[in-house]
Amino acid sequence: MKHKFSLVEFSVDHPRLIVSIAIIITIAFLTQFAKLKTDTNPKNMLPANSDVRVWNDEVEKTFGLYEDMIVVGVVNEAGVLNKGTLGKISRITDEAFRIKGVAARDVASFPTITNVTAAAGVLKVAPLMTQVPKSDEETAVLRRDLFDNPLYINRIISKDGKTTAIYIPLEKGANGKEIADRLKDIVNKEGGPEKYYVAGDPVARDTFGAEMFKLMAIFAPIAGAVMLLVRYLMFRDIFLSVTLMMDAMITVIWSMGLLIALGFPIHIMSSMAPVFLMAIATDSIHIFNEFYFRYKDKKDKRAAIIETMHAVGRPVRFTALATAVGFGVLLFMNIVPVKIFGGLVAFGTVILRVLSFSFIPAMFTFVKAEKMEEASKDEDITSSKTSQFLKRLAGYGADKPKATVIVGLVFVIIAVMGISRIVVNNNMVEWFKPNSEIRKADTVINSSLGGTSLAYIVATSGEDEYIKTPEAMRHIEGLQKHLEKLSVVGKTSSVVDYVKRINLVLHDNDPKYDIVPDAKGAIGQYLFLFGMSAKPSDLDNVIDNQSRKANVWVQLKTWDVDAMRQVIKAADDYTKTHPSRLELKPAGIAYFNLVWNDEVLWDMLKGFIIALLVIFVILAFNFHSVKWAIVGYIPLLFTILLIYGVVGFAGKDFDMPISVLSCLSLGMAVDFAIHFISRFKGRLAEARAEGKTFDNALLKEALLWTAARPGKGIMRNAVLFASAFSVMLFAPLTPYITVGAFIVSMMILSAVFTMIYLPALIVLWRGWLFKKEA
Amino acid sequence: MLRYLIILLAVLAPLNASAISPEEVMKSSQAAFLYQGKDFKARVTMRLLSSAGSERIRELTMLRKNFGAAGSEQKYFIYFYQPADVKDMTFMVYKRPGKESDRWLFVPALNMVRRIAARDKSSSFAGSDFTYEDVSGRNTEDDTHVITKEEKLGPSDCYVVKSAPKAGDMDYSYKVSWIDKKSFLPLKEEYYDKRDELYRIFTADEIKEIKGFPTVTKRTMKNLQSGHSTEAAFTRVDYNMGVDDSLFSERYLKNPPKKWIE
Repeated sequence: MKHKFSLVEFSVDHPRLIVSIAIIITIAFLTQFAKLKTDTNPKNMLPANSDVRVWNDEVEKTFGLYEDMIVVGVVNEAGVLNKGTLGKISRITDEAFRIKGVAARDVASFPTITNVTAAAGVLKVAPLMTQVPKSDEETAVLRRDLFDNPLYINRIISKDGKTTAIYIPLEKGANGKEIADRLKDIVNKEGGPEKYYVAGDPVARDTFGAEMFKLMAIFAPIAGAVMLLVRYLMFRDIFLSVTLMMDAMITVIWSMGLLIALGFPIHIMSSMAPVFLMAIATDSIHIFNEFYFRYKDKKDKRAAIIETMHAVGRPVRFTALATAVGFGVLLFMNIVPVKIFGGLVAFGTVILRVLSFSFIPAMFTFVKAEKMEEASKDEDITSSKTSQFLKRLAGYGADKPKATVIVGLVFVIIAVMGISRIVVNNNMVEWFKPNSEIRKADTVINSSLGGTSLAYIVATSGEDEYIKTPEAMRHIEGLQKHLEKLSVVGKTSSVVDYVKRINLVLHDNDPKYDIVPDAKGAIGQYLFLFGMSAKPSDLDNVIDNQSRKANVWVQLKTWDVDAMRQVIKAADDYTKTHPSRLELKPAGIAYFNLVWNDEVLWDMLKGFIIALLVIFVILAFNFHSVKWAIVGYIPLLFTILLIYGVVGFAGKDFDMPISVLSCLSLGMAVDFAIHFISRFKGRLAEARAEGKTFDNALLKEALLWTAARPGKGIMRNAVLFASAFSVMLFAPLTPYITVGAFIVSMMILSAVFTMIYLPALIVLWRGWLFKKEA
Repeated sequence: MLRYLIILLAVLAPLNASAISPEEVMKSSQAAFLYQGKDFKARVTMRLLSSAGSERIRELTMLRKNFGAAGSEQKYFIYFYQPADVKDMTFMVYKRPGKESDRWLFVPALNMVRRIAARDKSSSFAGSDFTYEDVSGRNTEDDTHVITKEEKLGPSDCYVVKSAPKAGDMDYSYKVSWIDKKSFLPLKEEYYDKRDELYRIFTADEIKEIKGFPTVTKRTMKNLQSGHSTEAAFTRVDYNMGVDDSLFSERYLKNPPKKWIE
């Protein structure tokens, strides 16, 4: 305490030195920005050695698969099987080969996909469309080939013949957005009447990553400008408004600079840190608020500064501690970017507080006295309209505590009902607005074809050559039928489909033979025959070299992680009802997303719960009382319950952005309670020092004073915060809108609840809280 | 006299060599690599290596008979030993220049011979990294050839020939071959994809002279993009055994004569 106090005095006495030091350090950190590296891939939230990534890598290696795939949908309302459209498909495929990062050899489209047919005793193995049909007869042949082969339907041709897709796998590390942009150029050159859709997880993921950084670059300055304007309207002093702004900027530069200097890439999560820090910086408004009141009373700048810091020092430090801890617990989570984000914001919070006790007091000294006079004129709790309004709010709580609490309880019950409806889910495509290009592309392809989201079910046996047995083949066939019953599954394909196909064509398309043959020898020879004529990848993708493992492709119609959960459950059920030597294990990007979702979100949730506990302990420490900690905790809990209740009722999934906000909400909402209770107790202590007796009247007087004076600071803080974040409501990406709406409502609600519920609870529980005094 | 003639030829040889046209180099290479002798037989063991390090074996006997000079018709007869489940499978190819080959396959499980129409250009030979074209050759007239340079590859002087397919229907945009000036065997081939990036490499790893014919007895095809590679070893190589025309028939596909397939 003593030490901090001297820092304030030192700063007031050597303002130029303090400001110069701050600026020099800031410049030093700014130089680090040249080394900035970004990592926009949310996938990297799970380290490369995490179980799911190791397993997926193994599956990809075993079956020669790709992590990511872009799907280009081509729609022609008059049907795609005409010379014009087919020519376009052929040219687009050819152009796609040339894009760097595209795994050209495994692009699946009319000109590349292997077709096995039988005609006049000849078994024909060739790409489906070696040349664009020149005549109607040739087109008719293509049509027959397509619709005769169940492997193609819903994969490269829709049942109505209006939609086709080009599947473009990407090499490891390729940027989905860049390749998607090239593809868009290519299809735009081809033009109509066809409509083109570029979809797939890598497009959404990499576009989101890129957009996110862009938005941060646009949003952070706008939010800063809005805060500056609102501050100016509050204090009518441009110099002080800029000072507050500088406080935030310096912190952002120091924190991000440190992160960059340490060699960490800026990840999606850490890119949100500047906005968070700007939000947390608004807490210093309490200093300004109090300073103006004090200055008005004392008219002595130096004394006002020191007294202000004395009065608000403790709550400001404890709110900082609570915020830092709220984020700091994230350091103990499992996921690296979550840790970095937590550490970054916690560090920034500490810096903000150090600046509050040095830089801000130093800057106060530069303000001219007459300016201050002018500005502080309105700071009177009897004349200020805000103060009067806040008094009435607090008065309501203090006068009708029971009614207030009962109304609150009703809300809590409703909120809990809402919370019970929350679904933990994540769908990156839905991070884009419904009318965005990416969402539309996904919707179109998912509604007419098998789906853009890809999962694998790997069937593993303990024994070489086992997959070639009729027993294993039939088991896999049954699994596919079982999975295809799910509405989220659009299509499945496996080695069994090839075996059945060859059995059929070797028997001159006699439908009797559209089955798995009875002998293992026949299956082996069919597969060999197929492998002798087709592309090597055709078989590699579905069966491993030793024939121990088979890979079932499952195309899903949605990127909802819940779809994958259903698939896994269906596979498990199938194993239970159909015992087999084959063990089924999920893999692929859809599975990765599920694991990612669970790991990241549960990690955040775990962090949130730990933060809740730790913050309670801090409150207890701050107030030296568990009772007061409980009182201070209630408005916070109430706010969080209400907001999540609304999230539940609105049918909004608990996804990544919401989970990040949980932690922020804690750190912020608790601030108000700390300020209120600290200042209220301070006021009571002052009154008692003056010799007043403790009674209901004094209690109420102190509550109303707290609401009117520090309460104004709380309200200012909330409004400032909310106004800055309201800018986000206009963002083009839904997570930002969510963040904006969430923060705006959280700030306003928690401020109002603090004003109403703290007085209500304090009055209601006065006997319990003031045992000693009574 | 003969002696002087040889010396004279030897002196003139470099001059001749530099005067040779790229088309002639490729024609001679085709003759040396794929049309040596009247007929040819080998036991071929292919090791198919995946990027994950797993290995598959293909073992087969390959018989070939020429019907005319280099570049003209050829017939192939192939009998599979491994993998185990395709033992007794036989395969026959009639190669006709300028046309897709005709192929017949005997499927033992069905006791049935089937004709197969497939594309030589891109389809894999028995699941390996070699395509049918790699095994039986490509019509030299389908490409435009340019000698880009002459250089040493290891101890051998080579022509380096760039061959670009005239039609755009190939998986690669061009191929660069190192053709040994002495034997005219291709020692190395590089295939460049449509982005002009190297993606497939053929190397002749061992060359033996059998009955006076330099023969590539070990070769590798490596796919840089998929990480796959195939090593093929030729043993029991023989030439000019007097293989009957009648071998290349449906009857013998079902009942291959022991004497030829061992």
